Amino acid sequence: MKLLLTKTIRAVFLMLLTVSTVSLNAQSDPTGESAVTRTFAITNATVIQAPGKELKGATVVIKNGLIQAVGTNVTVPTNAQVIDGKDMFVYAGFIDGLANTGAKRPENTPRPNDLFSPDPPNDYAGITPEHSLLDQLDIESNTIASMRKEGFAISHSVPFGRMLPGAGSIILLGDKKHADELILSKDVTMFTQFAGAPGAYPGNVLGIMAKYRNLYRNAENNKKHYDSYAENPSGIERPERDRVTEAFFPVVTKQQAVMYDASGVLEVQRAMRLQKELGFRLMVGNVKQAWDLGQMFKDNGTGVFLSLDLPDAPKEAKGKDLDEMTEETKRLEARKVDFYKKYVGQAASLANSGVKFGFSSLDATSTKVKANLLTMIENGLSENDALAALTTNAASLLGIDKITGTVEAGKIANIMVSNAPYFTKDSQIKFMFVDGDKYDFEIKEKGAAGNGNRSAAAGNDPIVGSWTYNFETPNGASTGKMTFAKDGDTYTGKMTSNDGAPDANLQEVTFANGTLSFIFMIDAGGQSVELVVSGTVTGNQYDAEVTVSAFNFSTPMSATKDGQ
Amino acid sequence: MKKNILILTLILFTGFISEAQVKKGDVLIKNGTVLTITKGTLDNTDVLIKDGKISRIGKNLKAPNGVQEIDATGKFIMPGIIDAHSHIALSSVNEGTSQVTAEVNMGDVIDPFDVSIYRALAGGVTSTHALHGSANVIGGESETLKLRYGTSNPEELKFEDAPRTIKFALGENPTRGGRSRGIQPSSRMGVEAMLRNSFNDAIAYRSTWAAYKADKNPRKVAPEYDLRMETLVDILDGKVLVHCHSYRADEIYMLLKVFTDFGIKKLTFQHANEAYKVASELAEFGASASVFADWWAYKLEVYWSTAYNATILTRNGVLTSINSDSGELIRHLFHEAAKTQKYGDLSDEEALSLITLNPAKQLGIDNRVGSIEVGKDADIAIFEGHPLSVYAIPVMTFVDGVKYFDRANDIADQRIYINPEEAVENITIFNREDEDRCMEEGVVSFEALFSNKK
Repeated sequence: MKLLLTKTIRAVFLMLLTVSTVSLNAQSDPTGESAVTRTFAITNATVIQAPGKELKGATVVIKNGLIQAVGTNVTVPTNAQVIDGKDMFVYAGFIDGLANTGAKRPENTPRPNDLFSPDPPNDYAGITPEHSLLDQLDIESNTIASMRKEGFAISHSVPFGRMLPGAGSIILLGDKKHADELILSKDVTMFTQFAGAPGAYPGNVLGIMAKYRNLYRNAENNKKHYDSYAENPSGIERPERDRVTEAFFPVVTKQQAVMYDASGVLEVQRAMRLQKELGFRLMVGNVKQAWDLGQMFKDNGTGVFLSLDLPDAPKEAKGKDLDEMTEETKRLEARKVDFYKKYVGQAASLANSGVKFGFSSLDATSTKVKANLLTMIENGLSENDALAALTTNAASLLGIDKITGTVEAGKIANIMVSNAPYFTKDSQIKFMFVDGDKYDFEIKEKGAAGNGNRSAAAGNDPIVGSWTYNFETPNGASTGKMTFAKDGDTYTGKMTSNDGAPDANLQEVTFANGTLSFIFMIDAGGQSVELVVSGTVTGNQYDAEVTVSAFNFSTPMSATKDGQ
Repeated sequence: MKKNILILTLILFTGFISEAQVKKGDVLIKNGTVLTITKGTLDNTDVLIKDGKISRIGKNLKAPNGVQEIDATGKFIMPGIIDAHSHIALSSVNEGTSQVTAEVNMGDVIDPFDVSIYRALAGGVTSTHALHGSANVIGGESETLKLRYGTSNPEELKFEDAPRTIKFALGENPTRGGRSRGIQPSSRMGVEAMLRNSFNDAIAYRSTWAAYKADKNPRKVAPEYDLRMETLVDILDGKVLVHCHSYRADEIYMLLKVFTDFGIKKLTFQHANEAYKVASELAEFGASASVFADWWAYKLEVYWSTAYNATILTRNGVLTSINSDSGELIRHLFHEAAKTQKYGDLSDEEALSLITLNPAKQLGIDNRVGSIEVGKDADIAIFEGHPLSVYAIPVMTFVDGVKYFDRANDIADQRIYINPEEAVENITIFNREDEDRCMEEGVVSFEALFSNKK
């Protein structure tokens, strides 16, 4: 009897416990998508805790979104989902130093009626530093998943815009229900570009530099005004609540760094010129040509994020082509190769001069990230320096090194697991943990993985064939047909617009991991303009974005495969 | 006090970093005909350069240990040519969206990779005055450059401590810009009104700030800072030399009156095709002129032009120079100067002064360059044949005693940065500034990009 009673009490207690657990988890989950557990253990894996710090046969325990334990002598919690990490390699999730990841490009600000070009409204001029990435953050953006797929757990993302698009925020590249859940650190930088307003002031880099000085100097004065008014308003003119100047206050007080999109060597030096004059904290991102600037970066303490985009390797002439080359052409080709080496060797040369840098995917295609990293490594960048740029250096430059960047107990569970050492050609990412949530990726068969394509059997190619496309331009919808063909491993394509424009050949057509990208040129008043198209193919549907970098413009494109 | 020391240290430190380290050379040029400009022509004479400066001029000079000797027997040594009106080596030329942009600065947009720099060196040019375009009534501050080609650092091209200069423009260009945008000025009257309004605004701005600075109230509130007004105040205070794009005599005379009213004295008229009509007025004011040798008939306002312009101005006591405003003409400014001997019989020294000492004076750098004198910068050009002869060939060009052009070692591909995706960039001898000259047509509009009218 007594025993029965005890048993009953225990059963009731257990029942209560179960009920309370359920109620703690709040709603039921009709979709069945929520994770069974948030406790994981990756056992017996090679763990690269930080660049150069490797543990073999180690276990990583993840609980409640944090890394709970890492080591060779770690107890696996009973409720953990265990991942056999044999032959697997565990890294800290990568950090992207400058990107638009997660941001949805807003509609272009229409040209105001009666625009007074010397003094346009701020939103048309592109002077909106009071905006934030959060205004454009879209949980549905496919860029979040595509960067996560490449190993990135965190992105310093910035809004779209012109000269001063708004503040950048650090976001977690997770799959969440609410945008707020993605935010790791809000409004950490003031994003700045050398992008002028169309037909209005500031129209180009001349006006942009001047306008920046003017805004900054006024913000310094206004800050003093605000402060003395806050201290004691009596007898002081009420300061005007100017959103632009207020957005500059954290920059003036150096709480917020200024992040420049500075791809070229001259843009970097222009940003530095402003920094020297005005004294703000400077970071430069999307940097492509800084091989000569190592000493300058060190002297100025500039935070640097190098572009993950690289130029295409010059084609080597062979056989008949080579025989037909003049000496002059050979010399010109050789210089192309020299400069190609400078671009791909930029990271190595800065690492050698002791500059700590991170990477930026701003101009890069996500599916080319790894190949480009390997190219940089082939050209002298050490794997440790590459990993540091992707993890520890990026974290410290962004001021988040206390919470992420390494595989260490107490840090956020941002982890990448690959089936081979990451910096090898055939490695593939098997799992990503972002903020403790697990994402699985299908490992492709060897051979298929070799060329990076999910190569479908010939004759059943997901791309080859005719497509009907449609995209919005400032002059209305543009529609037409695109046709793709495949020759060996190479895709070719042609675009025929319904508006009677000449056919455009599609160049650099790539299809990998469901992402179809290509570029084409159109003639605009005698000037050739490049349009970059990239997006995902789902069945017979293509959802992409057309970007015209020359005009800092992009627009969505959709296409449907014909005859299905 | 401590804080002040800290700030001072910071300023010194920052100054140290921003000071570009430019190369200085040592060289002995032997036995040439030295066209000094200021001290006559010296036959069979040597010029010794030490640490980028001319240290001795004389006969039978000995090269110090390790200093390279260049035999200039039969050759002519002249001061490096100075182009007082150029738009080479710039990434942007016009901030054409507004008609008064005194706040912008060409020092922000120096493009050290422009191959035109090398072409200019190959024409004996060592300095250019990199001006804002002529789309605006008041354009931006200009930058005086030394053509130190081969660097990726724009700071290294700046002529250290050259006086500040600024571009103004009168006539067709700014009014065309105004009319196309539907803003002031749409006529020459509007140009004058904008100038007067701008300076009156600047006077008001200056007094507002003076009152603020004089105010002893510790809780005073600073007035609005305006970089445009700051620059205009500096013009009023004589700290910035004005170079004004102009053609017609009436508008030249108009600006003289405006500047007289506002007490601005340092003024050079650029182009000034009709300056000959108001030469004595220019001389009386003390204004100078930087003109074309014989370029005309490219628009209505240059209809009344004459190749005698430079001579008439010179003979009337106006400090005059000849400029290129072109990536092509800049390669043979010595020919342009020689035209004044065909049209006007200027002496050799007068003709050469038009492209050396006179532009140096107009830019306020004549204490450093413009003639071959001990103590001046070793910015020197060596010619085969007299530079005013049609057979003249520039053979070497030095800036700060460093050789940047040598005809005997003239490498065909002078590009500094290469696009690895293109064998040869689309480079033509006529460069970007030509687009800016007719900028309304030259810029593809965003709307045109998607227009169906191809």
